[in-house]
Amino acid sequence: MAVPLRPSEVQEGDELPARELFLSKEQVRAYARAGGQWSPRFTDDEGARKEGLPGMITPGNMSLGLLVAMVEAWAGPGSVRRLGVTFRGLVLPDRTVRLCGAVTGKDERARTVELDVWLESDEGERLVIGTATVALA
Amino acid sequence: MPLDLDPSIIGREFDHTVYGPVEAEELVAFSRALGATRPEYIEPGAELVGHPTFPVRYKGRKFYPENLPATIDVRRGFDAGKDIQLGVPVRPGDMIDVRSTLHEVYEKTGRTGSMYFVVIRFTMTNQRGEMLAVIDNRFMHR
Repeated sequence: MAVPLRPSEVQEGDELPARELFLSKEQVRAYARAGGQWSPRFTDDEGARKEGLPGMITPGNMSLGLLVAMVEAWAGPGSVRRLGVTFRGLVLPDRTVRLCGAVTGKDERARTVELDVWLESDEGERLVIGTATVALA
Repeated sequence: MPLDLDPSIIGREFDHTVYGPVEAEELVAFSRALGATRPEYIEPGAELVGHPTFPVRYKGRKFYPENLPATIDVRRGFDAGKDIQLGVPVRPGDMIDVRSTLHEVYEKTGRTGSMYFVVIRFTMTNQRGEMLAVIDNRFMHR
């Protein structure tokens, strides 16, 4: 388990350990159920195609949650103060995605760091991009 | 097409909904669906708290105010992004108080024409008045 990072342990330009994971349709359906987003676009290929989508897609909120989990694995639980993301492309299930981040700034007095975070496809396309403010120990 | 927006609707609360009480099983299912393994997120008991993004599952019963400009086709759109400030974690038994305001409306013109962005701010607190999250939900419409 990650322990809270100290400011001296973090430098601008540091990269967070990337997390690679296979997003199964079952996991996406489980999120849709638990996240109050049970809708054809997130649960059923045929229903999603009727909405003009290529098949069922991953909820944006799930991408957001996965990015926070990636940051917490690095900085410790409860460390994320703010997160802003833009959904740029469809995150399709039954594929591998990569969760990445990098330190872009550090505020010694506030004991926080600023991050760029993103979720990319197996081909390296950034489908979700954002920034986060993270509290240090 | 330029937006015919009544500026007085910006910042005005248009929905107030209270949900809950939150059950431990809901918190655990949400965290497990994200692959969480930390005990505080998945093991029922006194230490259990919700995953930090648990509040995103809530929104007002009325998603949009009634007086948006007619040029915005609210039936068609998609989630363009979110900005979240995180407060205290959700705990079992919490009530979730959600207040919705129209935060911002703006237009962008791209190669395919005008796009309208509607930002709804959800301010969420628990029964103790503690801030759980402030979520700016950005939706794009053609």
